[in-house]
Parts: sequence; C-alpha cells; structure tokens
Amino acid sequence: MRALIDRRDFLRAAGTAFVAGLSGRALAATLDADAVFATACQNRSGTFGVAILSEAGAVLSVVDLPERGHDVTFDPVSRRSVVFARRPGTFAVIFDHAGLSAPQTITSPAGRHYFGHGLFAPDGRLLYATENDFDNAAGMVGVYDATDGFRRIAEFPTYGMDPHEMVLLADGRTLAIANGGIETHPDFGRAKLNLSTMQPSLVFIDRESGSLIEKHELPQDLHQLSIRHMDVSGDGTLWFGCQYEGPAIDRPSLIGRARRGEPLALVDMPDDALGSLRNYVGSVAANPSAGTLAVASPQGNSLVVLDAATGTIVSVRTMVEVCGIAGDGAGYFATTGKGMVAPASHAAVNSADHVWDNHVLRIA
Amino acid sequence: MALQSLPSTRRDAAFHILGLVAIFALTFPARADVPPITRAIDGFIRPAYDSFRESTVALRSGVDALCAAPDGAALDAARVSFVQTVQAWSAVETIRFGPVTQENRLERILFWPDRKSVGLKQVQAALAGQDATATDPATLAGKSVAMQGLGALEFVLFGTGAEALATGDAYRCAYGAAISANLVMMSSAIAAEWRDPEGFARSIANPGPDNPLYRDEAEAVTELFGVFVHGLELIRDVRIGGFLGDDAGADKPKQAVFWRSDATVASIAGNLDGLQRLFDVTDFSRSLDPDTAWIPSSIDFEFHNAGNALAKLDGAIADVLADPARRETLAYARLVTSSLSDLFGVKLADGLDLSAGFSSLDGD
Repeated sequence: MRALIDRRDFLRAAGTAFVAGLSGRALAATLDADAVFATACQNRSGTFGVAILSEAGAVLSVVDLPERGHDVTFDPVSRRSVVFARRPGTFAVIFDHAGLSAPQTITSPAGRHYFGHGLFAPDGRLLYATENDFDNAAGMVGVYDATDGFRRIAEFPTYGMDPHEMVLLADGRTLAIANGGIETHPDFGRAKLNLSTMQPSLVFIDRESGSLIEKHELPQDLHQLSIRHMDVSGDGTLWFGCQYEGPAIDRPSLIGRARRGEPLALVDMPDDALGSLRNYVGSVAANPSAGTLAVASPQGNSLVVLDAATGTIVSVRTMVEVCGIAGDGAGYFATTGKGMVAPASHAAVNSADHVWDNHVLRIA
Repeated sequence: MALQSLPSTRRDAAFHILGLVAIFALTFPARADVPPITRAIDGFIRPAYDSFRESTVALRSGVDALCAAPDGAALDAARVSFVQTVQAWSAVETIRFGPVTQENRLERILFWPDRKSVGLKQVQAALAGQDATATDPATLAGKSVAMQGLGALEFVLFGTGAEALATGDAYRCAYGAAISANLVMMSSAIAAEWRDPEGFARSIANPGPDNPLYRDEAEAVTELFGVFVHGLELIRDVRIGGFLGDDAGADKPKQAVFWRSDATVASIAGNLDGLQRLFDVTDFSRSLDPDTAWIPSSIDFEFHNAGNALAKLDGAIADVLADPARRETLAYARLVTSSLSDLFGVKLADGLDLSAGFSSLDGD
C-alpha cells in the first residue's frame, strides 16, 4: 500500500498549500447572495475544485481540490461544508464558503477510501463518511471529530458492500445507508468485480452505537439493482434511487421508498419517464416545501419530478447530462456535466470555465 | 452486408434512403453514407464475435482430442488453441453492450480479477472432488461464473497438475472439455444474436423515439463511443494497473490476467488491437470538421505506439517485470493509453459534439 501512503502525504501537503478560497470581492458576493449552493466541479482546463454558486447560478468562488470530488455536506452550526473525494479517492476538504477559515484537507486511513458521501451530526460535532474497507470488501462509516481537527475517532460497518449515499432521519440518530453492493478495489481502479453476485441493501444504523437496526434487500431477481442515492421528503419518507447493472433491455423500477418495519417499496413509473432514466439514477433530492421529489439521470439527460405524497409524475424535463439537483423555491436548482446551471427561478447559465459534478447542495 | 439482412419493408425504406444518398453524393461525396454504428457492426463487431466463436470451436476440438488421445503434443495443441481463444476474446471484450450483457455472459466468459481467489478455490475443489456437475456443460453453465470461463480453463490447462493431462487425467480433461463446450455455446449465441436481423443490431442501428434502447442517433453513437473510453480505462487501470506497481517492488505478477498461460501481454495487446480496428472501421473522421481532422491521425499514431511497445514483450509476465528495460516498455504502453483516453474522451468527444464525458459516461 505504499502508493496510498505517499498519496496521503501529498494530500496533507497540498492541504496546507491551499489559500483561503475567497477573495474579498467573492466574499462580498457570497454574503449578498440569498441562497448559496455548492458542487464539486472540473475546471475546463482539467483541474478539479468545489464551486460555490449563487441562487442565480453565478460562480461566487472555487476552492481547489487535488483530484475529483463528489458530494458536499454542510453543517449549519459551524457553517462549514465538506466535499468528499469521488471513489476511490482518499481526501475530503472542509471549507468555509464565507471564507472565514482556510480549507482543511483530511485523508482516509490506510486500507480505506471514501465513497464520495457523508454528513454531519445535527450538533455539528461529528462528521460521518461512507468508506471502503477494500481488502475485506466491507462497507464502513468513518467517524470524525469536528471539534478536534476532524480527527478520525471511530468506525463501524454498514453491513454491506459499497456504501454510497447516507442520510440522517428526522430523529437525528438513525442513519440510512445505501449499500450499492458492487465490489471494487483500488488495485483495479473503478472496475466492478462482482456483478453476477452483487447484493445491494439499504440499512438503518444507530449512529451513536453503530449497531444495525434493520437491513432491507430487494427481491433476488433484482439483485443487480444497485441502491445508491437517497433523500427524505417532507413527510419523513425515505426515497432511494437505483442504478441497474443488468442488461440494458431490462426496465426495472429505479425509485423506491423505505420505511422501518416494512419491505422496500419500488414505485411504478410510466414507460416513457422510466425509459428516460436509462436504468440510471445519478441523484435524488427532495423539496419538502414543494412536496416533491426529483431524480436525475445524466445518462438519460432527464430530470423527473414526482409528487412525494403519491409517487405520480409531476414533470419530465430533458436536460443534457443533468445530475446535480437541490430544492430551490418551488422547484429545483439543477447542474449538468456540460457546465449548465439551471436555477428554479432564474435563467439557466452556462459556465465558460467549469463543468459540474454529480451533486449540488444548498449550503445557505 | 447489413441491407441483405433487413426485413423487406425496412429494405425498401433503406433503398429509398440510399437513392437519396446517391443523389446527394454527387454534391457531397464524403459526408452522406452509412452511419458509424453500421460501419462498426459490419466492419468489426460481427466479424470479431464470429472469430471468437470460431476460436472456441477450435478450442473445443483441441481439448476433445486431448481427452481422446492424451499426449504432450495434444496438450500443446490445446494450449495453443486456448491462447488463440484469449486473443479472439480480448479483441472483442471491450464491447460491453448488446448480447454479451445477457445472462452474465461477460463474467461467465472471463471472471477476472478473482481478487480473493474464489474461482481458483472452486476450480480446485471441483478437481479434487471430481464434481460430476462440472463436466456436463449444461450443469456447468448454472454454476459459479468463476468456474465456467477462460480463467477456469486456464487453470485446467496450465495450472498446478496440468501436466497430467499429457498422460491422461480423465476428470480434469472432461472438466476442460465442458468449459470449452460452454464457451462454444456462449460465443455462438452472441454471434448469432448479433447476426439476427430482428435482434440487437437492428435496435442500435435504428435509433428513434419508439426505440426503447436508443431514442436518437446520439445515444447509439455515445454507446459506441463509450467502448473506447471504458475500454482504455479497463486496459490501463484494471488490466495493466492491476499488476504493474508504481515501482518494481510493488509489482504483482500473479495478479496479472492470464499469467499462467503467458498470455497477459497478448490479451492486453488484443484489447488495444480490437479498439484500433473498431476505430478504423467506424471512421469518425467523416464526421469531423477540418479544424479537428487531426485527431484521428493522432489516435492512430498512439495506437501504433502502444502496439509496437507491447509487441516487444512476449513471454511470462514475471520475466517482463523482472527486466527493467521491458518493464519500462510496459509502463510506456500504459502511458500511451492515458494519451489515448485524452484524445478520445476530450478531443474527439468535443470534435463530434458528443455529450460524452464528465458525468454520463463515467457514473457513480
């Protein structure tokens, strides 16, 4: 594992070299903006970063990243955000969109890498990250102390492989984790090693004890339906979105609801809406104030909005390489892998300098 | 010739379109002709799967002959047939859509990497226990994917104890014959399904709003384009990166695909050769503007550089790695695949105006 250790040293060194992300002008713009969103990005020159966007889609600032990032999480208490490396990356960068403190880079320990997602405890004291114990092909949650320089203080298993997105339920204590079920190992890049035997699951775990509360699996004929992204709608329902690893001619349902004590319930969608997702949901976002849920498919260039109470389709919008989605007023703030930002109530804008990664989050 | 295999109504329509093409061709000779996907199918995909099928038929004959009259020459002949099958498969294995994705065929033909030696243990257990269900192709096809493809057959023909095949090891030979017959069944099914005028080839060659798999030509071309993007990543990160370390001390020669049969480099070269042939017949240059017309010749140049490098590396992969000069040549070939990835994923994707790269081709 020599290469990983070297990389970690590099990342630590790189972290100290980051300057505070925001210039005075950008800081003023950030403070003036009504809503602020954050998303990992690739600069068109080829380097990577995390961008802070205004509600109108303007780029307020960009914090450099050493490699490609994935999702962002936000702590409203300290008003700090964290962007996680895309799998199989080993860094996460804590940044302050108001520019009051310099970005801090942390790294996963030897034998672990990040999966790109994580979240803060409600009081902001702990940060949780989904991680891969890759030699044992076991999903883990790493626990970091945000009050002590994000020191890694504990870990617990996710009772499955390939944990991807993780959300905190309304009780503030129960974690819902999507175990995508796909085995990968950094020796072999992003290659999927177990498609014929993969076994995804959705688990509820007590974040304080790390103990398993419930584990849910799809029927065996859907064992190649990887559960990857989730969000909670206004009534507390946990919604999940899937990516199908079986033949493209199959058309499994891709969206479902999970409740404790009940089997996973997949949602039937009309053929044209389901077909527009091309067996691939890249992100899931609820808009509680609007009573809706959105799923995006960059492979199908499709943004589908559902009524969160009934599961019926509200709209299907074609948008090339859409993936980042976040609730915005009565609609959604959407970003694309082609560099477009489409806010709910402003005209869409194309960035001359960036293309956007898979997830966007409202951070203020 | 694809037109001969179209049903009559389609054929009439096609001829009408061809008539128009003939008229336009007087004015625009280079532009209007067979779409890239059809050139790819007729010029590469169908013949390459036919070659794979033929190689497995010869392999089955060779193993059957070895079982009927075991001696050193028959074992040598079966081993030669095995390596020829590896080469034929390697040329076409980067095609990851269509019939090969049905029934877990990709994994059943080659389950690799076998990181925890699951397949090896299963094969050794079958040999030790003389499992009768492994010598019947019908029951073998329902067993673990790791027991029924090229990886398992490599151990049978080249692994510990294989020399007994030259003097007669009835069970081991019968298991090898069953694997060979299973490979014939799969290769024949794939080749036939690609040749079926009503089958997958018709779907991908005829995109449209009523086509559930490919709603427009861009989706079909993107599927084809993905072969290069994913194929180059496979070669670099999985096939070469799986055993070539950052320095010689980190090399893992026994983690190389087909190391037992000394076919590692042949397989990697076959992967690249297949991509190069697919690129040649697809001839994207017809779709490029003059200012991007340089891209195909640069791609061609790099394919030749990689091919020339790999051609110097025959023999056992452990010996290649132990020789600093040849190890360096292998590292150079890997570097060339990065250059090719940039040429395809960035330069050519831009030139063809494909929504290729950032999020849709490389999901998470």
